[in-house]
This record gives sequence, C-alpha cells and structure tokens, in this order.
Amino acid sequence: MTELLKDKTAIVTGGAKGLGKAIATALDASGARVVVADIDGDGAQQTASQLAHGEGAACDVRDDKQVEELLGWVTQRHGPVDIMVANAGIASVAPIAEMSQAEWRSVLDVNLDGVYSSVRHAGRSMAGNGGGAIITMASITGFAGSPLISHYAAAKAGVISLTRSAAVEWRDHGVRVNAICPGFIGTDLVLDRVPEFESALGVSLNDLIAQKQGRLGTVDDVAPLAVFLASERSRFCSGSAFVVDGGMDAALV
Amino acid sequence: MLSDLNDKRALITGAAQGIGRSIAELFVERGARVVLADIDEEKVKQTAADLGAATLPVGCDVTDGEQVASAVSAAVTEWGGLDIAVNNAGIEIAKPLVETPDEEYDALMAINLKGVFLGIKHETPALAASGGGAIINMASVAGLGGVPLLGVYGASKGAVIRMSQTAALELRDAGIRVNAVCPSFIDTGMVSRLVDPFETATGANFDDVVALKQQRLGTAEEVAEMVAFLASDDAMFITASHYVLDCALSGSLF
Repeated sequence: MTELLKDKTAIVTGGAKGLGKAIATALDASGARVVVADIDGDGAQQTASQLAHGEGAACDVRDDKQVEELLGWVTQRHGPVDIMVANAGIASVAPIAEMSQAEWRSVLDVNLDGVYSSVRHAGRSMAGNGGGAIITMASITGFAGSPLISHYAAAKAGVISLTRSAAVEWRDHGVRVNAICPGFIGTDLVLDRVPEFESALGVSLNDLIAQKQGRLGTVDDVAPLAVFLASERSRFCSGSAFVVDGGMDAALV
Repeated sequence: MLSDLNDKRALITGAAQGIGRSIAELFVERGARVVLADIDEEKVKQTAADLGAATLPVGCDVTDGEQVASAVSAAVTEWGGLDIAVNNAGIEIAKPLVETPDEEYDALMAINLKGVFLGIKHETPALAASGGGAIINMASVAGLGGVPLLGVYGASKGAVIRMSQTAALELRDAGIRVNAVCPSFIDTGMVSRLVDPFETATGANFDDVVALKQQRLGTAEEVAEMVAFLASDDAMFITASHYVLDCALSGSLF
C-alpha cells in the first residue's frame, strides 16, 4: 500500500502530548514528515524523537511572531508546508459567575487566538505554494452549552467559524480548512479536571459519558480522521466541522 | 495509515450507477465483498459484471420491506454476514413546491426516506448478528439548507439526517454506528438533469453558481472516499453524525 501522505510536510501544534501527539504519530505513520510544535520544547523534541520522520520545535501559539517564525523555519528546511494541524489548546473549570477576566482571557488566548495565528500563517504560505490542508481542533462544545467551560466552548465555536471563513477565502487557492469536533476524550486535558467537574455539577462524569457517548473516546479514535482530512481522499471537503463523539452532540437526552 | 475494508461484507442500495456504483467500486478496491442492490435489475447485473467476483447483484425496490430484507439475506447467505450497509438509493424532483404533483411527492418520500427507514430496520439484525457494523445513509447539503426546486428532495434528506441520529443512539449498544453523508452538487446524472430547470427557474447560470459556491462539481469518487472512511474501523467512535463534503458551500453565506 502506498503511503497516503508521502512527501508531505506537516506541523502539529500542541503536538508533544495527548491528542496532538496521537495525530503527529498517525501522520508520521502515513508517510508525512512531521514537525511537532509545542510550548514545551523539550516535550516536542521527545515526541518527535519517537517518530520516523519527526522534528521538534518550541512554539507558543499565543505569540503570532513565533508562529510566523515556525512556518519560516519549516519552509526553509523542507519546502512548503502541506498540512497544518492547529491543535494546541488548554482548559480550566469555573462557572461564569466566578470566572475572572484573566481566566477567560487565558483560554481564549491559546484556543482561539493561537488557532488564528496558526491558520493565518499556514494558509498564507499554502495559498502561495499550490495549496494544502489545514485542520483545526474544535470540539462539540463549540455547538452546545457546556457548564463550567464557557470560555473553552466559546473559543471552540470561534474556531469553527474561523474555519468556515478561512475555507471560503482560500477556496480558489487550493487550501482546504476543516475542523475536528471531538466529544470527551481520555486525555489529561479532560481527566485532570474530573474532580472539579463532578463536585461542581454533582454528577459522575463516568455516568454522564456512558449515557451520552457510550464510552470515553481515545486519542486513537480521533487521529485517523485527521489523516483523512489531511489526505487527498478528502479533497472536496472544506469549511466543515467533523464530529467524532460517539453520538453525544446529536442526542437531546 | 488508514484502514482498508478487508473481510468486510457490505450492502449498497442504488448501486447500479452514479454515486452508488462509485462506492461499490471503491469498496471492492479496498477489499470488501459487496451486494449491489438496485431497482434496475439489468443494469445492476452489468455493474456487477464490470466490478467482478467480489460483487453480487440483486434486484431491489427499497420501498418494499420484503425486497430490502431479501437483499440483506443475500449478503448473509453469500458472504456469511453483514458489516456495512449503505442506504444510497434516491431520486430527485426538480420542481417548485407548488407545482409538484402529490404523487411525485409520495414517490420521492417512499424511496428517499422510507427506503432508508426500511434499510435501517432490516439491516440491523444482520449487522448485530455480525457483532456490530456501520450504516451510512446518503443525505445531501439540500438537507441542511434551502435550494430552489429541491424542496421535496431537501425535506427527505433533512429527515434522513435526523433519522440517522436517532438510529445511532438506539443502536449504539448493539455496536452499530449510523452516520449520514451530505454531498453538494456532484457530477452525476442527477445534477445534470437539474441544470435546465434550475436555470429556467432562477435565471442564474448553473456553472456560475457552482463556481461561486463550491468551486467545481464534486465527483462520485470523492463521495465514495468519505463513505469508505465512515464504513471503516477508523471511524469507530463516529456515530450520529452527518459528514459534509461541499467545498465550503454550506459553510459560507456568499
């Protein structure tokens, strides 16, 4: 079987661990050269060292200049970037009434502004070089109300909207832009916050997940979708949000 | 690496031509064995002859539950079970709503919506007996938004999206995933038949609309790729979703 992403160059932001690491690994296994970018430069190097064609890079996506430099660095070493996975994201848990503006801002800075910079610099480069595929990491919280993570959900809704506008702006330049919307996935981002979540909501997250999405998702449930959206197999897909959530978002009860 | 469809046993309705045939071709290429069901018995035999020994043609009117059940049985008898069902058979009406005869409305709904309902109903026992599987229902972006002349068609496709969601929730514990696929204008006979009535009714040039809203016509092969992905084990956690392929048509205001 020929490698689906042979000779492609990809960047995965937030690639050192969790979902980003799984996506970087899947892209690598599909033949792509993968630059693992993360605010944790050592973590990025370590994850990259486990890949067949991986390289690590430190990048704080909140800093537009760093993202621009990342694109420049990768392009200089490997030529035009073909795939950008704007995945870096953080979360915290607080009801709106008790959320400080600083906490709101901190999540928006990474989860929306960081995606904006990643999309902007990747899209500019791709549009001038024959096209490419951008994948943004959104969430089903971008569609439905999510108590305690209003800032996270608002950022993800923003990511979906940005994805659509970018897809239209670059449609005639061969740049496809799509969002992935996972449900609850068993990563540190989710698992670390379970106690706070349960005490504030007064429900067991396990029960909620069993009822609404069958089981907790895994990073390997999501990674193949990223490969599909990065590959030519999805060449007519752009401006869409692809849900992978065991059915949670579709269920009213 | 993405998964193939080796050892999968599939049923595709409306498989003689258009998108259904392309899905069948790709499924065979990826290693599946496929029952090709179509109301046009002669044509589906020819399609099966073209595609080779991994396919089996059956005549099937999807508005008749017994015929749908027979098509499912053909897969179980011939291949030993069923892992994937693609409810693809559909027709279009390209007329303003107020000019659409009642009997044409009934005929379309019987195929596009009741056909999917009967598919889900009769495919489920065989899929469950195989330890679970995937149902993919052919919807359309016309099920997500308004399109002049496609009022009845769009209503049927909107209903297919909704029915897919509920089926997914009801069948989750049986290990059966149910998703819908929503293509925009694809280069098939159905779309070429739409061009003249669309231009007459709207005064717009169809090619211009396509260029503006989705850059070009999609291809049946591109739809098949999405169906194959959703049918594969790579989509194990994807259910109750509708996956759009429209080059940003439905995501943009203009």
